[in-house]
Amino acid sequence: MSHLWRRHRHWLAPTLFILPGALLFGVVIILASIETIWVSFFDWDGVGPMQWVGLANYEQLFADPQFYVSLKNNVIWLAMFMLAPPLGLALALLLNQAIAGMKFLKSLFFVPLVLASVTVGVVFTWVYDPTFGLLSLIYGWFGATAPALLSDEHLVSFAVVIAALWPQVAFCLVLFLAGLNNLNEDLIGAGRVDGARGFAMLLHVVLPQLREVSFIALAVTIIGALRSFDMVAVMTSGGPFGSSTVLAYQMYEQSIFSYRFGYGAAIATVLFAVMAVFIAWYLRTLLRPEQETA
Amino acid sequence: MYPRPIPETARPARAAYVALVAAVLVLWLLPLVTVMLTSLRSFEEVMAGNYWGWPKSFNFIENYTAVFKQTALARYFVNSLIVTLPSVIGVLVLSTLTGYVLSRHRFPGNRLLFALFVGGNFLPAQIMMIPVRDLMVGLGLYDTYLALIIFHTAFQTGFATLFMRNFIAALPDELFQAARAEGASPWQTLWHVVVPLIRPALAALAILTFTFVWNDYFWAIVLTQSDAVKPVTAGLNNLRGEWVSAWNLVAAATIMVAIPPVAMFFLMQRHFIAGLTMGAVKG
Amino acid sequence: MQRNTDSMAGVALATTRRRFMIGTGAVLAGGLLARPAIAQARELTIISNIGNADQRTVLQRLADEYAKASGVAVTINNMDHEAHKTAIRSYLVVGAPDICFWFSGNRMKAFVKRGLFDDISDLYEREGYKDVLGATTGALTVDDRQYGLPLGGLLWGMFYRKDVFEEKGWTAPATIEDLLKLGEQARSAGMVPVSMGTKEMWPAAGWFDHMNLRIGGLEKHLALMDGKLPYTDASLKPVFDKWEELIRADLFTPNHTSSGWEQAAAALAQKKAAMMDLAGFIKYGFPPDEVDQLAYVPFPVIDPSIARYEDFSLNSIHIPKNGKNKQDARDFLAYFYKPENLAAFLEAESAVPPRNDCPPSKDPLINAAVESMKTVVGTAQYYDRDTDPDMAQEGLKGFQEFMVKPERRDQILERLEGTRKRIFKE
Repeated sequence: MSHLWRRHRHWLAPTLFILPGALLFGVVIILASIETIWVSFFDWDGVGPMQWVGLANYEQLFADPQFYVSLKNNVIWLAMFMLAPPLGLALALLLNQAIAGMKFLKSLFFVPLVLASVTVGVVFTWVYDPTFGLLSLIYGWFGATAPALLSDEHLVSFAVVIAALWPQVAFCLVLFLAGLNNLNEDLIGAGRVDGARGFAMLLHVVLPQLREVSFIALAVTIIGALRSFDMVAVMTSGGPFGSSTVLAYQMYEQSIFSYRFGYGAAIATVLFAVMAVFIAWYLRTLLRPEQETA
Repeated sequence: MYPRPIPETARPARAAYVALVAAVLVLWLLPLVTVMLTSLRSFEEVMAGNYWGWPKSFNFIENYTAVFKQTALARYFVNSLIVTLPSVIGVLVLSTLTGYVLSRHRFPGNRLLFALFVGGNFLPAQIMMIPVRDLMVGLGLYDTYLALIIFHTAFQTGFATLFMRNFIAALPDELFQAARAEGASPWQTLWHVVVPLIRPALAALAILTFTFVWNDYFWAIVLTQSDAVKPVTAGLNNLRGEWVSAWNLVAAATIMVAIPPVAMFFLMQRHFIAGLTMGAVKG
Repeated sequence: MQRNTDSMAGVALATTRRRFMIGTGAVLAGGLLARPAIAQARELTIISNIGNADQRTVLQRLADEYAKASGVAVTINNMDHEAHKTAIRSYLVVGAPDICFWFSGNRMKAFVKRGLFDDISDLYEREGYKDVLGATTGALTVDDRQYGLPLGGLLWGMFYRKDVFEEKGWTAPATIEDLLKLGEQARSAGMVPVSMGTKEMWPAAGWFDHMNLRIGGLEKHLALMDGKLPYTDASLKPVFDKWEELIRADLFTPNHTSSGWEQAAAALAQKKAAMMDLAGFIKYGFPPDEVDQLAYVPFPVIDPSIARYEDFSLNSIHIPKNGKNKQDARDFLAYFYKPENLAAFLEAESAVPPRNDCPPSKDPLINAAVESMKTVVGTAQYYDRDTDPDMAQEGLKGFQEFMVKPERRDQILERLEGTRKRIFKE
């Protein structure tokens, strides 16, 4: 027995190591997600029997104007979220000084990152309130009336995204500060000798060294944008009249409030397809350098 | 360092700089500060519409004790801890194992497996909502701590595997060659070589996972129904419904809910930054 | 999260006989631990999602009293009102409680049709409920069998502040013309005529209900709710014409989609608005010492030839088919449903008691509603309770959109008609 084990442990042990994690993840996450794709071919109210309808849910979905509103909002989220990495970098550049007390101040900047999105949503709903909100207060100082951001079908998504950017920028800030701490001092010194300063230095010497951090910041930001759900649910419930829904929220709404689990599953599947593109890109970039060295 | 450090001799410049940072910080945290202030207001003041001005009276003790006395918030706190701590431990153990194998062992399907972990971790929660709930109901775990612990452990293992694999892959090859040369078993290698070196990563991962699990709201409402199990985020939403316009109390509860992850973060900040630096930067 | 009409009003309590799970010693919550451990064999767990603390206190007291008298261990679990709506669909099938709270009418029927609620006609018989409930029984009846007990009824209508109306010399509007006139007066006094918060959408649908009941009458309204009348039907045109007129007359709060009903009620309390369309739970938007200023008046008459129909939403309590302790569940219901107990429970949300033998209330809002109910000829429940939930979701959205963009009427109604056809399979 022990002989057998000894002979095979080079592959048995790793298999045993990876099994619990792989099984758990495989069953609870991967299989469940695949099952959702299966459910999307059924008409199902979540309680009664499931009825096979083939592609009918998808046909309805592509004819549903709400679907295109959600899709458009996902694009807005994606585009606006692209601001998070540069803003995070800018903040990081501002904060990257070794002065007494800076450490504490820096960590205060990270606080939004650890807040629950429910909290962020509640806080920003209060900021935007057209009668009592902080925004209306600020507009009031200039004698103007604040727009009711969460009531305006054209502005609402932007307002929600700005709230969501708060923790996202904090996240990028943490990454970039870490990156800046890891810069190669020799290269910076060489740059300084060559007379590079300010923006040129940033562009030609610093940023190239931050490539990996930037990639992670970008990838996590993109995927965060596509996954957006909590903020929409807490701040607007997709309103006014569905103008701020995103795919994730529309899926939830259709399943939970309209009892259309099959249809909701179809939306989830489409969202999955969109995300798969980005996930594939991320994985490719992540794995490519290793392939080259391998 | 970049940007160029402000020299220690330039005292006024340093003072001006700190003042500037402080000003930006105030703006940055303004929304949160106002919630804190609101949590101190009296109900009358909130009803009168004073949401952003300086509170007329400070009701710190009244409001915060009201939150605990009139609701099951204390119970929710305990629930959140009972769910979060085992999840964090589970994630650390599982991802150390998976990360080690995926980074240090070549086998067919390694890449695919890793891709599944990473890809799955990026999926939106909604896509697995229906099947996961059915699964937990089927296992008889619906509305138990275990349902949340299992789900969170499974889900966070995806991200954690990415994190640990990158971290362990960045450890010097020589260590592993040496271990192999000495005939160390995979388990010995893991326990005596890897684990001592990945402590900062474990610390960082612990706090990240803690934050993610603690802050989860979606699964809290999908997988639980009773007060005895419900985590604090779902509890917070209860309060929003219960205290229709008692924003001062909702604000107080909001602050209470935010305290554990913020405290965790401040306590383990060094590890957090160190872990991210190595995990993300060298990845 | 979205919240519907029953948000405050709703009372959902579910008694769950749950598996005691690993690691929690706290399942036996509250006073139960203090009880001697002898008669713990029988148990009854209750989940409530009651919106206000007062009402929960009453329920806890009744449960404790019942537990003491019967020796049955009663546990109350509190749930979020919205989350409960989702959870009930799982727990009725797997892990059903012994008792749960829900809504009468269509929402109940959906579960009755799937065989998830127990037939409690025997309890009606035993306790003689039909005699004290009268016509209300109908909302709990499917095919001549009863599947639940009615709880508080919420009578919808207009609320205003007595002191404000007195000070300004206004009278509560009886007709829609009065309301329009009041609108002008309120605006010139710098107030919003009708406080409206449609963030959760249902208040807009309620307004539609009330206009449709006043213009089209009950029969047509119910046909629409049952999916038998197209949303593009010509008979709905006057409703939307009139509604558009009110919107264009700036009767409602600007930017109403930003605020929930709570904020809208607060505006009424703060004398920033003159009136509001809601039910008795409006008092939760008021400081406790100002509640007595609240007064009720029915939604204004539009077409005098139409009889008085109102939205009267009725919450209810049920025994799930898959519950395990059906006998004790019945006994608990009988105890809970005693006139004095029920009245104490309902007092907290200013709901109209369904029993005619409840002791008279001290709450003027309840008494006003009880009094007003005497002239009501027929009732609907509320848009999102009367129609299919899928339809309701689209309808709520559509009405909210109409209140902001009345010019999109045709587009909205065509969309709703498309949804109606899909759901009711025409």
